[in-house]
Amino acid sequence: MAEQAIVQIKNLSKTIGSKKIIKNLNLDLHKGEITGFLGPNGAGKTTTIRMMVGLMKPTDGEVWIDGQSVQGDFEGSIRKVGVIVENPEMYKYMSGYKNLLHFSRMHKGVPKKRIDEVVKQVGMQNRINEKVGSYSLGMRQRLGLAQALLHDPKFLILDEPTNGLDPAGIREFRIYLQKIAKENGVAIFVSSHLLSEIELLCDRIAIIQNGELINIKNVNELQKSRYYIQAEPLELVGEVLTGAGFPAVLHDNGYLVDSGAEHIPGAINLLVGAGARIFAVQPYRETLESQFLEMTGGGEIAQAHTK
Amino acid sequence: MLKLIQNEWMKLWNKKITWIMVILLVFIVFAGLGITKWMNSTGNQDIDESWQENTQAELASINLMMEEPGLSETQIDNYEEQIAIAEHRLENDIAPLEYASMQQQVLDTHMMMSLVTLLTVIVAASIVAAEFSQGTIKMLLTRPVKRWKILTSKYITVLLFAVLLTVILLISTALAGLIFLGIGEGTLLTWTGTEVAEASFWLEALKLAALKFSSIWMISTFAFMLGTVFRSSSLAIGLSIFLMFTGVQAVFFLQNYEIVKYYLFTHTDLTQFYTGNFLVPDITISMSLLVLAIYFLVFMAISYWTFGKRDVTA
Repeated sequence: MAEQAIVQIKNLSKTIGSKKIIKNLNLDLHKGEITGFLGPNGAGKTTTIRMMVGLMKPTDGEVWIDGQSVQGDFEGSIRKVGVIVENPEMYKYMSGYKNLLHFSRMHKGVPKKRIDEVVKQVGMQNRINEKVGSYSLGMRQRLGLAQALLHDPKFLILDEPTNGLDPAGIREFRIYLQKIAKENGVAIFVSSHLLSEIELLCDRIAIIQNGELINIKNVNELQKSRYYIQAEPLELVGEVLTGAGFPAVLHDNGYLVDSGAEHIPGAINLLVGAGARIFAVQPYRETLESQFLEMTGGGEIAQAHTK
Repeated sequence: MLKLIQNEWMKLWNKKITWIMVILLVFIVFAGLGITKWMNSTGNQDIDESWQENTQAELASINLMMEEPGLSETQIDNYEEQIAIAEHRLENDIAPLEYASMQQQVLDTHMMMSLVTLLTVIVAASIVAAEFSQGTIKMLLTRPVKRWKILTSKYITVLLFAVLLTVILLISTALAGLIFLGIGEGTLLTWTGTEVAEASFWLEALKLAALKFSSIWMISTFAFMLGTVFRSSSLAIGLSIFLMFTGVQAVFFLQNYEIVKYYLFTHTDLTQFYTGNFLVPDITISMSLLVLAIYFLVFMAISYWTFGKRDVTA
């Protein structure tokens, strides 16, 4: 991840009326990395994304994409970006193919062959010549992804991309995004409310609240190796574990131990030797959901405060 | 830019409403000429004047009008041309075009062109507004194409549509005229500036249609601006059509005030300089062109400014 950032958001701010919606946002996105963008309703996710793609003008600050500023050189920078903002609205009175043809004409150098290729990639071959009006939401999401990928972007922005997909579709979608991030080095920025989905998909998570970035974390950091050991009596177990040099925290009817898997059998032997009765030993992972709620203070809609 | 126009054209013709409009236009032309034929065969049997008598009567009425005080120079020129043509007819025994003939109907096509205006206004008002109401605007504006280019492609598409409708109107009038009325007898005469000469009815019809096009152009530009500013096609269509019908009437109310000279609808119909039927007597073609140009620039400036600056939250 030490590579130079493809996308740099610098001091991005937006004021509407007297209300500061986005406050000095700074964020770097890297090649091949999938970054999740989380926040309660009204935190400013959509506004941030709209400024990143030039739909809204920032009051202050800039978004740089691969060395070009969206605010300065719109055509040069946005050429490298594929976008789905909220639901991918298409021209319902035209077929999926004509919609893709329409968008391909707005980019330089997208041959018709590429349209067929993308259609195949998102698995729409059988329905592509039907009118979009007859598509289900899931199919529209697929078509939305297809239009975002047409021009082989270096950077993909997706706002609620799995909305309306069935579980198999979500899984397929996730595997596909991870594949293009890894193989083509595409930087991906995904906003979503589905925390579990973000956790599975992303390498890194940025959390926004009231227009400010409050946390950026790597997902593997969240997933550091921890074990839950349920054993009795508690005092004895605590003594043995701390005595052996394991950082242990009381949790439910046992202890949480920060440790690699390789040290666990040794710890069990110690506990058995000390006469403790062991009921369960299992890997422990704190869910993103509980962390998210902790960080954003319960996930209520961002308080409307003016400055 | 060509690809953008291609896109707009494709979207336009993939909508059912566009086809309905074209079919409606052709249908009205055929129905209108069918009625003309029917009226011509039933009524007017007893009125049996020759064309010479008609021309003489026309000549007399023009001479009468010439004596009225306060005529402008353009009007006097126009009356003199009409007198020259009428006298030439009588001297050389050249009959005018029959009313119920294909030739005369094609020549009068410009009078049917408010139909084209009506249909073009619908397209002009909704071509930008619909992108907002469908939510497709965000897909359209997150492409490596500057906003002014997208707006220009839409505007050009509207004008192309208006030209196409005008051509369809001319062709269907000619076809319906041939079927119902036949090509007709008589010769069309025009004043070339120095003498009276025979003219091709096709060429004359095209000239008149081109002059009438100024009116379609201005009203569509107005509708285009409203659609862009308010992002609501129904409001833009309603307001434009309302103005199209009341705008010209208002000229008569304003007739006695100086302001009428700067009023858009005094100038929208440029055929008045060709046919001599002026809305307001003392206007000249250069003045009309200047007023139209200023209105046009204002409408365009407002459209481009709002479309280019607006934050898209749709």
